Amino acid sequence: MRAVVIVANPNPSSFSHAIAARLRGGLEASGHNVIVHDLYAEGFRAAMSAEERQAYHGDVPVVDPLVIEHITDLRDAHTLVFVYPTWWSSLPAVLKGWLERVMVPGVGFVFDERHKVRPGLTNVKRLVGVATYGSSWRSVKLINDNGRRTILRALRLSTSVRTRSTWLPLYGMDSLGVSDRERFLVKVDRLARSL
Amino acid sequence: MRAYVVFCHPTHASFIGAALERVLAGLGRAGHEVRVSDLYADGFRPELDQHDLAVHRIDHRVHPERRPDISRYVENLQWCDTVVMVYPTWWSGQPAMLKGWFDRVWVTGVAWDRPDGTNRTTPLLRNIQTLIAVTSHGSSKVMNALEGETGKRTLTRALRSACGVRCHTRWIAFYTIDRSNHSARAAFLDRVEERMSKL
Repeated sequence: MRAVVIVANPNPSSFSHAIAARLRGGLEASGHNVIVHDLYAEGFRAAMSAEERQAYHGDVPVVDPLVIEHITDLRDAHTLVFVYPTWWSSLPAVLKGWLERVMVPGVGFVFDERHKVRPGLTNVKRLVGVATYGSSWRSVKLINDNGRRTILRALRLSTSVRTRSTWLPLYGMDSLGVSDRERFLVKVDRLARSL
Repeated sequence: MRAYVVFCHPTHASFIGAALERVLAGLGRAGHEVRVSDLYADGFRPELDQHDLAVHRIDHRVHPERRPDISRYVENLQWCDTVVMVYPTWWSGQPAMLKGWFDRVWVTGVAWDRPDGTNRTTPLLRNIQTLIAVTSHGSSKVMNALEGETGKRTLTRALRSACGVRCHTRWIAFYTIDRSNHSARAAFLDRVEERMSKL
Protein backbone atom coordinates (compact mmCIF):
# COMPACT_ATOMS: atom_id res chain seq x y z
CA MET A 1 0.00 0.00 0.00
CA ARG A 2 1.29 3.37 -0.90
CA ALA A 3 1.13 6.43 1.35
CA VAL A 4 1.92 9.91 0.07
CA VAL A 5 2.82 12.58 2.63
CA ILE A 6 2.81 16.22 1.51
CA VAL A 7 4.76 18.62 3.76
CA ALA A 8 4.55 22.41 3.43
CA ASN A 9 6.94 24.22 5.73
CA PRO A 10 9.89 26.34 4.54
CA ASN A 11 12.08 25.50 7.51
CA PRO A 12 13.70 22.03 7.13
CA SER A 13 14.11 21.75 10.91
CA SER A 14 10.50 22.74 11.62
CA PHE A 15 8.04 20.87 13.78
CA SER A 16 6.14 19.97 10.57
CA HIS A 17 9.25 18.06 9.46
CA ALA A 18 9.45 16.28 12.81
CA ILE A 19 5.81 15.27 12.30
CA ALA A 20 6.57 14.05 8.76
CA ALA A 21 9.48 11.94 10.04
CA ARG A 22 7.21 10.26 12.63
CA LEU A 23 4.56 9.71 9.99
CA ARG A 24 7.08 8.01 7.74
CA GLY A 25 8.25 5.73 10.55
CA GLY A 26 4.74 4.84 11.65
CA LEU A 27 3.41 4.29 8.14
CA GLU A 28 6.37 2.06 7.24
CA ALA A 29 5.76 0.07 10.42
CA SER A 30 2.15 -0.47 9.31
CA GLY A 31 3.34 -1.82 5.96
CA HIS A 32 3.11 1.22 3.71
CA ASN A 33 5.42 2.17 0.93
CA VAL A 34 5.89 5.83 1.89
CA ILE A 35 6.65 8.75 -0.40
CA VAL A 36 7.26 12.10 1.29
CA HIS A 37 7.02 15.22 -0.84
CA ASP A 38 8.60 18.23 0.85
CA LEU A 39 7.16 21.02 -1.29
CA TYR A 40 9.65 23.71 -0.30
CA ALA A 41 12.69 21.41 -0.64
CA GLU A 42 11.49 20.40 -4.10
CA GLY A 43 11.07 24.04 -5.10
CA PHE A 44 7.40 23.48 -5.84
CA ARG A 45 5.86 26.70 -7.23
CA ALA A 46 2.67 27.93 -5.56
CA ALA A 47 1.13 29.95 -8.37
CA MET A 48 -0.54 28.47 -11.40
CA SER A 49 1.20 30.07 -14.39
CA ALA A 50 -0.50 31.60 -17.42
CA GLU A 51 0.75 28.65 -19.46
CA GLU A 52 -0.75 26.17 -16.99
CA ARG A 53 -4.02 28.09 -16.90
CA GLN A 54 -4.11 27.87 -20.69
CA ALA A 55 -3.38 24.12 -20.61
CA TYR A 56 -5.93 23.50 -17.83
CA HIS A 57 -8.87 23.21 -20.19
CA GLY A 58 -6.92 21.40 -22.91
CA ASP A 59 -6.15 17.71 -23.50
CA VAL A 60 -2.94 17.76 -21.46
CA PRO A 61 -3.53 19.97 -18.41
CA VAL A 62 -0.01 19.63 -16.98
CA VAL A 63 3.22 21.24 -18.18
CA ASP A 64 5.61 21.03 -15.20
CA PRO A 65 7.59 17.72 -14.87
CA LEU A 66 7.52 18.07 -11.07
CA VAL A 67 3.72 18.16 -11.14
CA ILE A 68 3.72 15.05 -13.37
CA GLU A 69 5.86 13.27 -10.76
CA HIS A 70 3.35 14.15 -8.02
CA ILE A 71 0.45 12.94 -10.15
CA THR A 72 2.23 9.64 -10.88
CA ASP A 73 2.84 9.07 -7.17
CA LEU A 74 -0.81 9.73 -6.37
CA ARG A 75 -2.20 7.30 -8.95
CA ASP A 76 -2.17 4.24 -6.70
CA ALA A 77 -1.90 5.92 -3.32
CA HIS A 78 -4.04 4.38 -0.61
CA THR A 79 -3.28 7.04 2.00
CA LEU A 80 -2.81 10.77 1.49
CA VAL A 81 -1.49 12.90 4.35
CA PHE A 82 -0.98 16.67 4.60
CA VAL A 83 1.32 18.31 7.14
CA TYR A 84 1.40 22.09 7.39
CA PRO A 85 1.35 25.14 9.67
CA THR A 86 -1.86 27.21 9.52
CA TRP A 87 -1.45 30.76 8.21
CA TRP A 88 -4.38 33.16 7.91
CA SER A 89 -6.75 30.37 8.94
CA SER A 90 -5.78 28.25 5.97
CA LEU A 91 -3.18 26.32 4.00
CA PRO A 92 0.20 27.89 3.21
CA ALA A 93 0.07 29.27 -0.36
CA VAL A 94 2.39 26.53 -1.60
CA LEU A 95 -0.05 23.84 -0.45
CA LYS A 96 -3.04 25.71 -1.86
CA GLY A 97 -1.05 25.89 -5.09
CA TRP A 98 -0.38 22.15 -4.93
CA LEU A 99 -4.15 21.58 -5.04
CA GLU A 100 -4.54 23.96 -7.96
CA ARG A 101 -1.64 22.61 -10.00
CA VAL A 102 -1.80 18.87 -9.21
CA MET A 103 -5.56 18.34 -8.81
CA VAL A 104 -6.28 19.22 -12.43
CA PRO A 105 -8.96 17.66 -14.66
CA GLY A 106 -8.22 13.94 -15.01
CA VAL A 107 -6.51 13.78 -11.60
CA GLY A 108 -8.57 15.44 -8.85
CA PHE A 109 -11.78 15.02 -10.79
CA VAL A 110 -12.95 13.55 -14.07
CA PHE A 111 -15.88 14.26 -16.34
CA ASP A 112 -18.33 11.46 -17.07
CA GLU A 113 -20.10 10.97 -20.44
CA ARG A 114 -22.77 13.50 -19.45
CA HIS A 115 -20.01 16.00 -18.66
CA LYS A 116 -20.71 15.91 -14.93
CA VAL A 117 -17.85 16.23 -12.46
CA ARG A 118 -16.90 12.95 -10.76
CA PRO A 119 -14.24 12.27 -8.10
CA GLY A 120 -10.80 11.45 -9.47
CA LEU A 121 -9.00 10.28 -6.34
CA THR A 122 -11.14 7.22 -5.65
CA ASN A 123 -8.00 5.15 -4.97
CA VAL A 124 -7.35 7.23 -1.82
CA LYS A 125 -9.04 5.41 1.06
CA ARG A 126 -7.54 7.39 3.93
CA LEU A 127 -7.30 11.18 3.91
CA VAL A 128 -5.37 12.69 6.80
CA GLY A 129 -4.42 16.20 7.89
CA VAL A 130 -1.89 17.02 10.61
CA ALA A 131 -2.08 20.77 11.11
CA THR A 132 -0.41 23.08 13.59
CA TYR A 133 -1.96 26.36 14.72
CA GLY A 134 -0.47 29.38 16.46
CA SER A 135 -3.92 30.19 17.85
CA SER A 136 -5.88 28.43 20.52
CA TRP A 137 -8.71 26.01 19.76
CA ARG A 138 -11.20 28.74 20.63
CA SER A 139 -9.85 31.34 18.20
CA VAL A 140 -9.43 28.76 15.46
CA LYS A 141 -13.14 27.89 15.79
CA LEU A 142 -14.08 31.58 15.90
CA ILE A 143 -12.07 32.58 12.82
CA ASN A 144 -12.87 29.26 11.06
CA ASP A 145 -10.52 26.51 10.11
CA ASN A 146 -10.32 26.99 6.37
CA GLY A 147 -7.36 24.62 5.96
CA ARG A 148 -9.33 21.78 7.48
CA ARG A 149 -12.38 22.69 5.41
CA THR A 150 -10.33 22.72 2.21
CA ILE A 151 -8.96 19.24 2.82
CA LEU A 152 -11.82 17.49 4.63
CA ARG A 153 -14.60 19.02 2.56
CA ALA A 154 -13.37 20.32 -0.84
CA LEU A 155 -10.69 17.66 -1.43
CA ARG A 156 -12.70 14.96 0.37
CA LEU A 157 -15.33 15.31 -2.38
CA SER A 158 -12.68 14.19 -4.88
CA THR A 159 -12.09 10.91 -3.05
CA SER A 160 -14.25 7.81 -2.75
CA VAL A 161 -17.54 7.75 -0.78
CA ARG A 162 -15.89 5.14 1.43
CA THR A 163 -12.78 7.23 2.12
CA ARG A 164 -12.16 7.73 5.84
CA SER A 165 -10.74 11.03 6.92
CA THR A 166 -8.83 11.97 10.04
CA TRP A 167 -7.77 15.34 11.41
CA LEU A 168 -4.99 15.67 13.95
CA PRO A 169 -4.63 19.30 15.11
CA LEU A 170 -2.12 20.90 17.44
CA TYR A 171 -3.51 24.20 18.75
CA GLY A 172 -1.70 27.02 20.50
CA MET A 173 1.70 25.90 19.16
CA ASP A 174 3.41 29.12 20.22
CA SER A 175 2.82 28.58 23.92
CA LEU A 176 3.66 24.86 24.08
CA GLY A 177 6.70 23.36 25.71
CA VAL A 178 8.96 20.55 24.54
CA SER A 179 7.02 17.88 26.43
CA ASP A 180 3.70 18.97 24.87
CA ARG A 181 5.26 18.68 21.44
CA GLU A 182 6.74 15.28 22.21
CA ARG A 183 3.33 14.09 23.42
CA PHE A 184 1.85 15.24 20.13
CA LEU A 185 4.53 13.36 18.15
CA VAL A 186 3.57 10.20 20.03
CA LYS A 187 -0.02 10.74 18.88
CA VAL A 188 1.23 11.21 15.31
CA ASP A 189 3.16 7.96 15.52
CA ARG A 190 0.15 6.10 16.92
CA LEU A 191 -2.07 7.47 14.14
CA ALA A 192 0.44 6.49 11.42
CA ARG A 193 0.68 2.96 12.75
CA SER A 194 -3.11 2.63 12.70
CA LEU A 195 -3.52 3.68 9.04
CA MET B 1 -13.14 57.04 -0.94
CA ARG B 2 -9.78 55.39 -1.40
CA ALA B 3 -10.08 52.02 -3.06
CA TYR B 4 -7.21 49.57 -3.33
CA VAL B 5 -7.89 46.97 -6.02
CA VAL B 6 -5.91 43.72 -5.89
CA PHE B 7 -6.13 41.72 -9.09
CA CYS B 8 -5.11 38.07 -9.14
CA HIS B 9 -5.37 36.12 -12.36
CA PRO B 10 -2.58 34.85 -14.67
CA THR B 11 -4.11 36.69 -17.62
CA HIS B 12 -6.25 39.76 -18.29
CA ALA B 13 -7.85 37.93 -21.22
CA SER B 14 -10.25 36.17 -18.85
CA PHE B 15 -13.66 36.69 -17.26
CA ILE B 16 -11.92 37.95 -14.12
CA GLY B 17 -9.86 40.31 -16.30
CA ALA B 18 -13.15 41.66 -17.68
CA ALA B 19 -14.46 41.98 -14.11
CA LEU B 20 -11.41 44.08 -13.22
CA GLU B 21 -12.18 46.49 -16.08
CA ARG B 22 -15.74 46.91 -14.78
CA VAL B 23 -14.58 47.35 -11.17
CA LEU B 24 -12.30 50.17 -12.32
CA ALA B 25 -15.03 51.67 -14.52
CA GLY B 26 -17.49 51.68 -11.60
CA LEU B 27 -15.02 53.16 -9.14
CA GLY B 28 -14.01 55.77 -11.74
CA ARG B 29 -17.64 56.76 -12.36
CA ALA B 30 -18.08 57.38 -8.64
CA GLY B 31 -14.95 59.54 -8.59
CA HIS B 32 -13.07 57.44 -6.06
CA GLU B 33 -9.31 57.49 -5.75
CA VAL B 34 -8.00 54.14 -6.96
CA ARG B 35 -4.77 52.19 -6.72
CA VAL B 36 -4.30 48.81 -8.37
CA SER B 37 -1.92 45.91 -7.75
CA ASP B 38 -1.69 43.10 -10.29
CA LEU B 39 0.05 40.28 -8.43
CA TYR B 40 0.88 38.14 -11.47
CA ALA B 41 2.13 41.12 -13.51
CA ASP B 42 4.23 42.23 -10.53
CA GLY B 43 5.84 38.79 -10.38
CA PHE B 44 4.93 38.64 -6.71
CA ARG B 45 6.48 35.65 -4.91
CA PRO B 46 3.66 33.88 -3.04
CA GLU B 47 5.78 31.31 -1.20
CA LEU B 48 6.56 32.41 2.35
CA ASP B 49 10.20 31.26 2.58
CA GLN B 50 12.70 30.51 5.30
CA HIS B 51 13.78 34.15 5.55
CA ASP B 52 10.16 35.30 5.90
CA LEU B 53 9.67 32.73 8.62
CA ALA B 54 12.80 33.88 10.45
CA VAL B 55 11.54 37.49 10.55
CA HIS B 56 7.94 36.45 11.30
CA ARG B 57 7.99 38.04 14.77
CA ILE B 58 9.78 41.22 13.73
CA ASP B 59 7.50 44.25 13.63
CA HIS B 60 7.42 45.57 10.06
CA ARG B 61 7.07 49.19 11.31
CA VAL B 62 10.39 48.92 13.14
CA HIS B 63 12.31 46.98 10.49
CA PRO B 64 10.72 47.55 7.06
CA GLU B 65 14.06 46.68 5.43
CA ARG B 66 13.61 43.04 6.47
CA ARG B 67 10.80 42.60 3.97
CA PRO B 68 11.78 44.94 1.12
CA ASP B 69 9.53 43.46 -1.58
CA ILE B 70 6.26 44.04 0.28
CA SER B 71 6.58 47.77 1.00
CA ARG B 72 4.44 49.01 -1.90
CA TYR B 73 1.57 46.69 -0.91
CA VAL B 74 1.86 47.76 2.72
CA GLU B 75 1.74 51.41 1.73
CA ASN B 76 -1.42 50.82 -0.32
CA LEU B 77 -3.09 48.84 2.48
CA GLN B 78 -2.39 51.66 4.92
CA TRP B 79 -3.57 54.32 2.44
CA CYS B 80 -6.96 52.86 1.49
CA ASP B 81 -10.32 52.59 3.22
CA THR B 82 -11.64 49.92 0.87
CA VAL B 83 -9.95 46.79 -0.49
CA VAL B 84 -11.41 45.15 -3.59
CA MET B 85 -9.99 41.73 -4.41
CA VAL B 86 -10.71 40.48 -7.91
CA TYR B 87 -9.88 36.79 -8.41
CA PRO B 88 -11.21 33.41 -9.54
CA THR B 89 -12.20 30.92 -6.84
CA TRP B 90 -10.14 27.74 -7.11
CA TRP B 91 -10.64 24.78 -4.79
CA SER B 92 -13.26 26.83 -2.94
CA GLY B 93 -10.80 29.58 -1.95
CA GLN B 94 -8.46 32.32 -3.09
CA PRO B 95 -5.79 31.32 -5.64
CA ALA B 96 -2.41 30.41 -4.13
CA MET B 97 -0.96 33.66 -5.47
CA LEU B 98 -3.46 35.70 -3.45
CA LYS B 99 -3.17 33.42 -0.41
CA GLY B 100 0.59 33.98 -0.54
CA TRP B 101 -0.02 37.71 -0.61
CA PHE B 102 -1.93 37.37 2.69
CA ASP B 103 0.82 35.15 4.11
CA ARG B 104 3.65 37.53 3.18
CA VAL B 105 2.11 41.03 3.27
CA TRP B 106 -0.44 40.86 6.10
CA VAL B 107 2.34 40.43 8.66
CA THR B 108 3.08 41.66 12.16
CA GLY B 109 3.33 45.44 12.21
CA VAL B 110 1.09 45.66 9.15
CA ALA B 111 -2.07 43.65 9.81
CA TRP B 112 -1.65 42.81 13.46
CA ASP B 113 0.39 43.48 16.51
CA ARG B 114 1.03 41.57 19.69
CA PRO B 115 1.75 44.13 22.41
CA ASP B 116 4.57 43.12 24.77
CA GLY B 117 3.54 40.89 27.62
CA THR B 118 0.18 39.93 26.13
CA ASN B 119 -0.95 36.88 24.26
CA ARG B 120 -3.60 38.70 22.26
CA THR B 121 -3.22 40.16 18.81
CA THR B 122 -4.65 43.56 17.98
CA PRO B 123 -5.73 44.62 14.49
CA LEU B 124 -3.67 47.30 12.75
CA LEU B 125 -5.54 47.84 9.47
CA ARG B 126 -8.29 49.80 11.20
CA ASN B 127 -8.30 52.24 8.28
CA ILE B 128 -10.00 49.56 6.17
CA GLN B 129 -13.77 49.92 6.44
CA THR B 130 -14.85 47.69 3.57
CA LEU B 131 -13.42 44.42 2.28
CA ILE B 132 -14.83 43.31 -1.05
CA ALA B 133 -14.38 40.15 -3.10
CA VAL B 134 -15.35 40.02 -6.77
CA THR B 135 -14.98 36.40 -7.78
CA SER B 136 -16.19 33.56 -9.99
CA HIS B 137 -16.85 29.92 -9.15
CA GLY B 138 -16.82 27.00 -11.57
CA SER B 139 -19.41 25.16 -9.52
CA SER B 140 -22.77 26.10 -8.04
CA LYS B 141 -23.48 27.91 -4.80
CA VAL B 142 -24.74 24.68 -3.22
CA MET B 143 -21.58 22.85 -4.23
CA ASN B 144 -19.52 25.66 -2.71
CA ALA B 145 -21.44 25.40 0.53
CA LEU B 146 -20.61 21.67 0.60
CA GLU B 147 -16.97 22.45 -0.10
CA GLY B 148 -16.88 24.74 2.92
CA GLU B 149 -16.83 28.24 1.33
CA THR B 150 -13.30 28.81 2.51
CA GLY B 151 -12.75 31.87 0.30
CA LYS B 152 -15.72 33.66 1.79
CA ARG B 153 -14.74 32.67 5.32
CA THR B 154 -11.16 33.82 4.81
CA LEU B 155 -12.51 37.23 3.82
CA THR B 156 -15.30 37.67 6.36
CA ARG B 157 -13.52 36.19 9.35
CA ALA B 158 -9.75 35.90 9.02
CA LEU B 159 -8.92 39.06 7.03
CA ARG B 160 -11.66 41.09 8.67
CA SER B 161 -10.11 40.34 12.06
CA ALA B 162 -7.16 42.57 11.02
CA CYS B 163 -9.43 45.49 10.13
CA GLY B 164 -11.58 47.81 12.21
CA VAL B 165 -14.48 46.45 14.27
CA ARG B 166 -16.94 48.18 11.96
CA CYS B 167 -15.38 46.80 8.79
CA HIS B 168 -18.01 45.52 6.34
CA THR B 169 -17.51 42.75 3.85
CA ARG B 170 -19.15 42.46 0.44
CA TRP B 171 -19.30 39.21 -1.47
CA ILE B 172 -19.90 39.73 -5.19
CA ALA B 173 -19.75 36.28 -6.72
CA PHE B 174 -20.70 34.62 -9.96
CA TYR B 175 -21.46 30.92 -9.54
CA THR B 176 -21.56 28.03 -12.05
CA ILE B 177 -19.48 29.93 -14.58
CA ASP B 178 -18.63 26.64 -16.34
CA ARG B 179 -22.23 26.23 -17.46
CA SER B 180 -23.14 29.90 -17.84
CA ASN B 181 -24.24 31.60 -21.02
CA HIS B 182 -23.07 34.88 -22.45
CA SER B 183 -26.01 36.94 -21.20
CA ALA B 184 -25.63 35.74 -17.59
CA ARG B 185 -21.95 36.68 -17.65
CA ALA B 186 -22.69 40.08 -19.17
CA ALA B 187 -25.37 40.70 -16.53
CA PHE B 188 -22.90 39.89 -13.76
CA LEU B 189 -20.31 42.29 -15.18
CA ASP B 190 -22.96 45.01 -15.33
CA ARG B 191 -23.82 44.31 -11.72
CA VAL B 192 -20.13 44.55 -10.72
CA GLU B 193 -19.83 48.01 -12.29
CA GLU B 194 -23.10 49.14 -10.74
CA ARG B 195 -22.12 47.97 -7.25
CA MET B 196 -18.72 49.64 -7.52
CA SER B 197 -20.21 52.94 -8.66
CA LYS B 198 -22.47 52.98 -5.60
CA LEU B 199 -19.92 52.28 -2.90
